[in-house]
Amino acid sequence: MFAGKRLSKELLKMKEHLPPGISIAKSENLEEWQMDIRVLDENPLYQNQVFRLKFTFGSKYPIEPPEVQFIELPSTSETPRSIPIHPHIYSNGIICLDLLSSAGWSPVQTVESVCMSIQSMLTANTRDERPPGDSEFVSYNRRRPRDINFFYDDDNV
Amino acid sequence: MNIDDFLAMDPGCDRDEIVDLRSLDYVSNYDDHLMCAICHCPYIRPVRLQCDHVFCQKCLNTAITTFDTDRDEFKCPTCRTPTRGVYLTVPRFLINMCDDIRVKCPFEVQGCKEIVPRGHIQSHVDKYCGHRLMDCPDVFCRKKTRKKDLSAENKCMHELHRCLRCDAEIMEQDYQHAKELCPGLKTTCPDCEATVFRKALREHIDACPEAIHCCAASKYGCPIKVKRVELAVHEQTCPLITIGPYFEAQNSRLDSLELTIRHLQQRNEIFEDGLANIRSNLVESSCVISGRNPDRPAESGSQGSPSNSSQTVNEQFDSANNFSSNATTYLLALHESLREEVGQLSHAITDLDSRASMAIMNECLRLKEDMAHTNAAVGSIRMQVQWLMNPRIHQSQRTGVRTNGGNNGNETRAGQLGSSVAGPSHAAGPSPGFFQPRRLSDSGREGTKL
Repeated sequence: MFAGKRLSKELLKMKEHLPPGISIAKSENLEEWQMDIRVLDENPLYQNQVFRLKFTFGSKYPIEPPEVQFIELPSTSETPRSIPIHPHIYSNGIICLDLLSSAGWSPVQTVESVCMSIQSMLTANTRDERPPGDSEFVSYNRRRPRDINFFYDDDNV
Repeated sequence: MNIDDFLAMDPGCDRDEIVDLRSLDYVSNYDDHLMCAICHCPYIRPVRLQCDHVFCQKCLNTAITTFDTDRDEFKCPTCRTPTRGVYLTVPRFLINMCDDIRVKCPFEVQGCKEIVPRGHIQSHVDKYCGHRLMDCPDVFCRKKTRKKDLSAENKCMHELHRCLRCDAEIMEQDYQHAKELCPGLKTTCPDCEATVFRKALREHIDACPEAIHCCAASKYGCPIKVKRVELAVHEQTCPLITIGPYFEAQNSRLDSLELTIRHLQQRNEIFEDGLANIRSNLVESSCVISGRNPDRPAESGSQGSPSNSSQTVNEQFDSANNFSSNATTYLLALHESLREEVGQLSHAITDLDSRASMAIMNECLRLKEDMAHTNAAVGSIRMQVQWLMNPRIHQSQRTGVRTNGGNNGNETRAGQLGSSVAGPSHAAGPSPGFFQPRRLSDSGREGTKL
């Protein structure tokens, strides 16, 4: 009941103004949006690259967090997108960020603020690596991101 | 008030309200600070947490109830401060500002154009809005009726009636409407007073002889507007209509000319670009030539460079061929630069020439001097030889005389021979007392040596 009204208000506001490096790629319905984000500084890991985030909103948004993950678009498509390399981002696009878990989420967060958090998470990263156990996780995980219990043990990145 | 008391309060105080304030269409822009961070609407029944963050009562309620862990650990959604108290009192001005924001009546679709402050929307809907949808008074009818359409007798307005004129089935509530718009009704043409069916009115107006029309030449400036019947008469005399075809022809000519001009402009731009290109090429090549100049006159091995430059010049020439209109200018420039080169070469040659002749002259002078020296030396040697030869000649003349006189002459002659073998200095030694003239010759010889 909430979600639609709140999302249409957010969309209206975002169409008016968005912070640099963040743009709306798809927002046809109020259940799934796609956003493009780009790192603003000269970080060599992500220079000249744009990444696609997929937001899936439940009916209880913003009380409950949206599901957010990176998605890959093939290099043959018009807008090729890859999964950024980061010690907290699995190669299937799942992001390990406490903000996106039910415990770390707060209803005052918006799509814009989540994008900015992920943007700064990429900006601050200097390690050219995937999380430990990435290949195992990617091949065995069938759960949805919100059901995974991550250990948010690393506050540095 | 602690959280449990807060939750025990009826969250849906607005349950009986018809207007959902969150789905209203907000007309005026409102400040972000008046916006609940959870629902992004201006605060509705705001409440305050201990940390001074304000939320709608309903939003906070939902946030707390969906918070999975212990309620006592509920944290402020904005600042994550653990919260124990909820205060129902917020500053009055905050509520007033939120209630002052203008909204559209929720029955806009039904035709209500009202825009009222949000605080008044409830009373507007309750009391004044005639477009509010009400349940039909007939208990068996499920349809809704606009409030203003409700009849005094509480009769259902959804019964179907047959229109007397056009045979369409219409509802009671639309009856008034139909009276005005039924296509079976007749109406009068505003121009010719004839009575026609409403549905045929449009066709009639297109053909009505009384309707006022503009002259066909109005686009050329004919101001005349007359009834259709008189139009034909006018058009026969209207000068603008007779000129009409001429105007058309002129217009089309103008159009084609404009098109050509645009084409020519484009071509011109292309040519200007080309010209600028050539100019920059020329400047470059002249720079190259002047850069080569300083080392050219000095050595004769610089013959390669002119050929190089002429090669580059040729290349430029080739590229210039594309722009034939500029070829003459280009050739002139080329000619100028070549002439300059030739001038420099001839200058170098004269320079070399003069140097060579100077060197030859110097050499000649030196040789002349040497020759004079040698001549002088040769002269002195000749003199010496004559001096040396003189005594011998004299002696041979004297001995010739003495052999005729006595035997002594033979002996001295033998002695003379021996001395000539031994050397002139010794020859003089053995008989100094006898040969006076020879002493003379000796002293003379010493003089020439000095």
